[in-house]
Amino acid sequence: MDDIQAVEAEAPAGSSIADGVVRPLDPRYVDLLIQTGWIASGVATVLVLAGSTLMMLARGITAGSLGVAAGLCVVVVLLAVWLIRWPPVSYRFESYRVDADGLEIRRGVYFRSVTTVPRSRIQHTDVSQGPLQRRYGLATLTVHTAGTENSEVELPGLPHDVALRIRDHLLPGNTADAV
Amino acid sequence: MQSERRLHPLSIIFNIGKRFGALLIPLLVVLAGRGSDEDRWNVYALAFLVPYGVAVVGGYLSFRYRYEPGELVIRRGLIFRNQRHIPYDRIQNIDAVQNILHRLTGVVDVKVQTAGGKEPEATLSVLSLADLDEMRRRVFGRATAATAREAAELAGGVAPPARVLLHLPPRELVIFALIENRGFVVIAAAFGLLSEFSVFSKFLERYLGEEASRGIFRTAARTMFVDGGPSMRVVVFGALAFLAFLLVSRLFSIVWAQVRLHGYSVTQAGEDLRAEYGLATRVTATVPIRRIQAVTIRDTPLHRMLGRASVRVTTAGGGGSGDNKAPQHREWIAPIIRRDDVPGFLAALVPGADLSSFEWRAVHPGAFRRMLTRASIVNTIVVALLSLVMGRGVWWLLPILLAMSIFRSWRRAAYLAWATTPDVVAMRTGALVHVTTVAPLARLQVVERHESPFDRRTAMAHITADTAGGGGIDVPFLAVETADALYGRLAAAAAHTEFRW
Repeated sequence: MDDIQAVEAEAPAGSSIADGVVRPLDPRYVDLLIQTGWIASGVATVLVLAGSTLMMLARGITAGSLGVAAGLCVVVVLLAVWLIRWPPVSYRFESYRVDADGLEIRRGVYFRSVTTVPRSRIQHTDVSQGPLQRRYGLATLTVHTAGTENSEVELPGLPHDVALRIRDHLLPGNTADAV
Repeated sequence: MQSERRLHPLSIIFNIGKRFGALLIPLLVVLAGRGSDEDRWNVYALAFLVPYGVAVVGGYLSFRYRYEPGELVIRRGLIFRNQRHIPYDRIQNIDAVQNILHRLTGVVDVKVQTAGGKEPEATLSVLSLADLDEMRRRVFGRATAATAREAAELAGGVAPPARVLLHLPPRELVIFALIENRGFVVIAAAFGLLSEFSVFSKFLERYLGEEASRGIFRTAARTMFVDGGPSMRVVVFGALAFLAFLLVSRLFSIVWAQVRLHGYSVTQAGEDLRAEYGLATRVTATVPIRRIQAVTIRDTPLHRMLGRASVRVTTAGGGGSGDNKAPQHREWIAPIIRRDDVPGFLAALVPGADLSSFEWRAVHPGAFRRMLTRASIVNTIVVALLSLVMGRGVWWLLPILLAMSIFRSWRRAAYLAWATTPDVVAMRTGALVHVTTVAPLARLQVVERHESPFDRRTAMAHITADTAGGGGIDVPFLAVETADALYGRLAAAAAHTEFRW
């Protein structure tokens, strides 16, 4: 597969993040997604086991109830495999680029997209961190525009300090051509 | 000049009327003494009117607005106090509605709209006409004075000349009514009213026997499927009723258009467009030209036969603040317009858009096959699902649907095209109903390039560009090189133009 060749991993400290270099997301993002996948699979397993037990208590152990339980287990295993195997694949197809004009995001393994958010169109930006993201030192940058269909563009999997640097660069107040 | 103002004192009357309009009829019934015992509760319900009345009076007394140098400030509320600052340059429109009572008393219901969502940012009901004029002057006068051209005009002491862009005489409204059937609205309302008084069931009972009054659709279904076909009398009656329905609905449509859109006109005064229409309820809507995000020209086969089209504009919706991101679709800026007048009209709405200079560029030649493949798969699935429910008999539908798909895909692939000029990007699409969208490059927001596995197999890509009002650009089935060029062009244009509210 012709995955995106990211040139540099990290912008040298002190230099501008807005150098137009295509960068991959933080590799720890893969670990984060895999861990999330394990947690989700665990929750799904517990739910399926509990549900199957209840069903058998209510209906008795019949061929039908065993079949349903087995089917659910197969679904959960497939889901778990997908959740845990997919992140390293999709990671290779995600990258971002910041330059003086704005932010560009590439993503998608099969259905690929390139999204350009012009800096002059940004209304406001969020940098958010969930509990797991905080453990890995990662953050999600969300850019809001005045658009309708696509007014919220998210870029997860950034190191927290990089997310802040990009945000500071994208803030309209930091430019000559402020809105 | 920063003194606070109040609404017109008639606000109290109008607001009480607004809140209790629904209660008015039962109230009259009760007062006339015709109410049965079950209606007696209405009398007790009157007790609830008192606090509402107090709330309306309090609302009036606490409502203040003032003009600050850069913003409109509105204070309201006695217990829950609220102060809202609306910068003038965020205000999209000031809409004024006058119903008959408003016109008799010389006041107007005013809604101040900004880019954020469905609800108006401020509702001032009601203001005197002079106050409305002052508001328009202060809000838009200031905004437009910021532009150099306007400033020069003001310095020269020349008022911006008002130019009539569109005027619809009754004849055009008849054509409009024949093309876009609004009669159903009236008929649906009438139907609801008549069924209230069980006029229909009596009518049907008389002509079709008692069974019919039990429910027109159930009876129809029964005669079709159970009783082995309808009788001659029912067929004739049904056909006549259908014809009559078509005729009457068009007639109602004409009446509706003549009343609702009476004297429809669009004038350009300086940097604003003003649409005015209505016989009973006079509507005046002001749209600053620089707020227009995209223009959509739509024509159906009927429009083309009669040499007409209709034009819509979208102004900014989905503001950056607030969760309510509904776009503000104005219904029409031109409900109907001669096709020859469209280029001139468009040029007035989008400066720099010259429809005749567009060089339309077709999409990838493989688009037809892609569309047809997609439609065929959908058709087959639909028919397969239907056959599960209704038996194998429905498979004869498939060839008909496929033939329609071939025709539609062929027409759509032939018409689908895009164009760019230094100022705007345009696209057109549609099989039978043609839609052309024109958006100024300076209004584009997020630009995206998509590539599905099917796109990659045929070396195609799909470009979308979002605007603040919805109705953006969305061109599928582009050859990859073309897509890359268009993507680069739109992204660069969006990045290097300033987006102004």
